[in-house]
Amino acid sequence: MTQLKDKAPLGKVIVITSGKGGVGKTTSAAAIAAALAKRDFKTVVIDFDVGLRNLDMIMGCERRVVFDFINVIQGEARLKQALIRDKRLDTLWILPTSQTRDKDALTKEGVEKVLNELKEQFDYIICDSPAGIERGAQLAMYFADEAVVVTNPEVSSVRDSDRVLGLLASKTKRAEDEGAEVKAQVLVTRLDQRRIDAGEMMTIDDVLEILAVPLLGVIPESTAVLRASNVGMPIVLDEPSAASRGYEAAVARLLGEEVDTQTERDKKPGFFSRLFGAPA
Amino acid sequence: MRAEPIQVRGRFLTAIAIRIEVDTPDASFFAALDEKIRSAANLMVGAPILLDFEKVPGFASRGHLGELVRAIRAKGLLLFGVQNATPEQQALAEEFGLIQVLVGRDTPVQQARATSPRRSRLVAQPENKVIHRHVRSGQLVVAERGDLTIIGSVASGAEVLASGNIHIYGTLRGRAMAGVEGDTSARIFCSKLEAELLAIAGLFKTSETIHPDLRRCNVQAFLEDETLHIERLV
Repeated sequence: MTQLKDKAPLGKVIVITSGKGGVGKTTSAAAIAAALAKRDFKTVVIDFDVGLRNLDMIMGCERRVVFDFINVIQGEARLKQALIRDKRLDTLWILPTSQTRDKDALTKEGVEKVLNELKEQFDYIICDSPAGIERGAQLAMYFADEAVVVTNPEVSSVRDSDRVLGLLASKTKRAEDEGAEVKAQVLVTRLDQRRIDAGEMMTIDDVLEILAVPLLGVIPESTAVLRASNVGMPIVLDEPSAASRGYEAAVARLLGEEVDTQTERDKKPGFFSRLFGAPA
Repeated sequence: MRAEPIQVRGRFLTAIAIRIEVDTPDASFFAALDEKIRSAANLMVGAPILLDFEKVPGFASRGHLGELVRAIRAKGLLLFGVQNATPEQQALAEEFGLIQVLVGRDTPVQQARATSPRRSRLVAQPENKVIHRHVRSGQLVVAERGDLTIIGSVASGAEVLASGNIHIYGTLRGRAMAGVEGDTSARIFCSKLEAELLAIAGLFKTSETIHPDLRRCNVQAFLEDETLHIERLV
């Protein structure tokens, strides 16, 4: 099934980050990783939120965690022992984090060693950053080739995303070694067109004007997201919804395909959102 | 191939001018000179120094000039020339080994500036800064000795500071502080004003005190009568 078996893996590191918590980083990391894996890219998603293990629950593999990322960094387990293969897609892997340690257990050298080892085996390495801009978040972005900045269309989230964009431009290996910026794109999540129309939420154009980076995609607020995460299913592997289509389009754009964002975000509430009826 | 034994190169030189304001220097003049040199030792010691006779065409005593030259040199200052000197003053200056420096485009300072006690014609080389990117939330950009130009926006939660003027070709959503060393003539220009704070030489306005009609406009901010004014640019 792995189409790239005879080719060298791409070894691309993408960080999913935001600054603010609760905007949908982990959901997005799981969805993007699963969508890449569906396209036959060998993909691993790593949980950098040490002490607040969530990714494995959203991926539905929490009962299968034996060793974790921290064990590997500290030499207590080999990478192979800690990687969990997804039961639905054999190109998708999860590297869970520890629920009992804290962020001090992450070291720059340790993270680099693990990422280098993963680059030899995987096409895409998706780093699910913790919220905030402290050590865990900075290490999650430090070795990234590209960044997806997850933002909700409201002022505090946008401002935190702007802060993170500043860090991506200065506090990453690329910035420090080559003076180059990490390519960053914004993924707007939890978009509620009715609240925008009512003037309660920022428009996509407002968000893009402030952040001044390309738009990777727009994910509408959807009950399908909550339902999927409750059953441990990445949204793109669940039944089709406006949110899953949003993630598929975002991943297409991440891979450099041209997808029209304009038509999508102007679309009226889709069939599914009408069917399931978003809460008023 | 042998290197040229001599190369002639043009060079610009920044000098410090000491402008004399009285025709006959007395004890209080020399006391004031001592004080000035002491208070600005960092700036003046080791820098090339000029005497400026613009205000004192009548200063023509050989004895007074000699006393002045000795006093300045005794402080370790590198006095080398005169400017705005009358022919008579030039001739005297040459006796003390001082050359006449042509002032060229150097316009005379305004009266108002000359009387201001904080003003002096002591001009250090400015170090202007041009930033060709957005200044993101949490970032701080400082032009310590000169103007700051930003080609991009300044985000909410970002700060830009300059001892001179600030120009922002983008939206200013954060804080801009010009004239941070006390230059009350400094100005802030921005193509779209949504600032959290504007300050010039310590006088400031916050978003709450900026008139709503000026929001999102192309504006300049400046000091007049000890008040910060914001005005739309057409």
